[in-house]
Amino acid sequence: MSGNGAVWGRVRSRLRAFPERLAACGAEAAAYGRCVQASTAPGGRLRKDLCAQEFEALRSCFAAAAKKTLTGGR
Amino acid sequence: MLRLTRLLPWWWPPPAAAFPVKNLGLRKVASGVSSPGSASPRALNIFDRDLKRKQKNWAARQPEPMKFDYLKEEVGSRIADRVYDVARDFPLALDVGCGRGYIAQHLNKETVGKFFQTDIAENALKNILETEIPTVSVLADEEFLPFRENTFDLVVSSLSLHWVNDLPRALEQIHYVLKPDGVFIGAMFGGDTLYELRCSLQLAETEREGGFSPHISPFTAVSDLGHLLGRAGFTTLTVDTDEIQVNYPGMFELMEDLQGMGESNCAWNRKALLHRDTMLAAAAVYGEMYRNEDGSVPATYQIYYMIGWKYHDSQARPAERGSATVSFGELGKINDLMSQGKKSQ
Repeated sequence: MSGNGAVWGRVRSRLRAFPERLAACGAEAAAYGRCVQASTAPGGRLRKDLCAQEFEALRSCFAAAAKKTLTGGR
Repeated sequence: MLRLTRLLPWWWPPPAAAFPVKNLGLRKVASGVSSPGSASPRALNIFDRDLKRKQKNWAARQPEPMKFDYLKEEVGSRIADRVYDVARDFPLALDVGCGRGYIAQHLNKETVGKFFQTDIAENALKNILETEIPTVSVLADEEFLPFRENTFDLVVSSLSLHWVNDLPRALEQIHYVLKPDGVFIGAMFGGDTLYELRCSLQLAETEREGGFSPHISPFTAVSDLGHLLGRAGFTTLTVDTDEIQVNYPGMFELMEDLQGMGESNCAWNRKALLHRDTMLAAAAVYGEMYRNEDGSVPATYQIYYMIGWKYHDSQARPAERGSATVSFGELGKINDLMSQGKKSQ
């Protein structure tokens, strides 16, 4: 366990990049959000992986954005 | 209210139980005072108070604590407004769970003679905000106030009672340390606080993981608050609610601010880990379901303000049954009745 907080700092800085990458994937995020919101309507039932497709699209867009900032940024 | 991931922070391992008491102008008072009434059988243990102290200490040690103070400053100033509304001076006042002292900075020497500020986090007391009132900082837990009976004219508490395990007992303690005809003015987070965050996490966790666990701490309902205050012995209760909506760029910024405020989750039943996938899903759901026109997301903070008085003979009491001298039916002739009454006085 590091006493100087190196691990925590590293993980937290990774987490800080999330909003930027999420902003780059606005369309996929909106699609996933709409899918989940639709299940909250009366008659809908939210189960595990109900919106798996939309989430996969979001996750791959997110990973692509991460790669772009990694290679392009630093 | 929210724990992001289970990462051991920089202050690990935690200080040993018998850490030396440094003389920094703080008085660490033993909390072994006999409390009014025995330890209640209804005592719950929902929150890890030790962890909450560590979280508040961590938050107070951040490089820019002012960045996260906006909510507490606002509520502190509204409580100070209510103190000014009471047409009285208070020679001795107590702030329970003061943080960095957000209420004291808005009050003046004429209204409050001396201010005792207590908190469980010593770092918060070390960074106390400037105020013209002479203050004494005391390290104390909200449930174990180390003061004698009938000490204070005024007790205030701003946004710290929602982390107390035994709220009835804490309110009884406050009632105990108040002088007769003393007043307690408090503010607590209410049931609708952060409902957007709660719902988003719930939906995302259900979709991603098949079930969900609570990430937002439970809040007291406004009806329960009235009962609790009554049971603690307060009279002439007033409870009103206020909603503050703060806009954030996204869910991650909200969670970071909550942690910076020292409001991270410390309930015993919290899940230690929040998956990155779930966080991403929740942020997407939050943005889609609650987004404003300009793309920011709102977070609602519902605040309950409560005012309760300790009984004193001089306080107005409801009249005896059957002591009415006029009936409601004569309300139309109220002007005549009043001039009659003045003549007879």
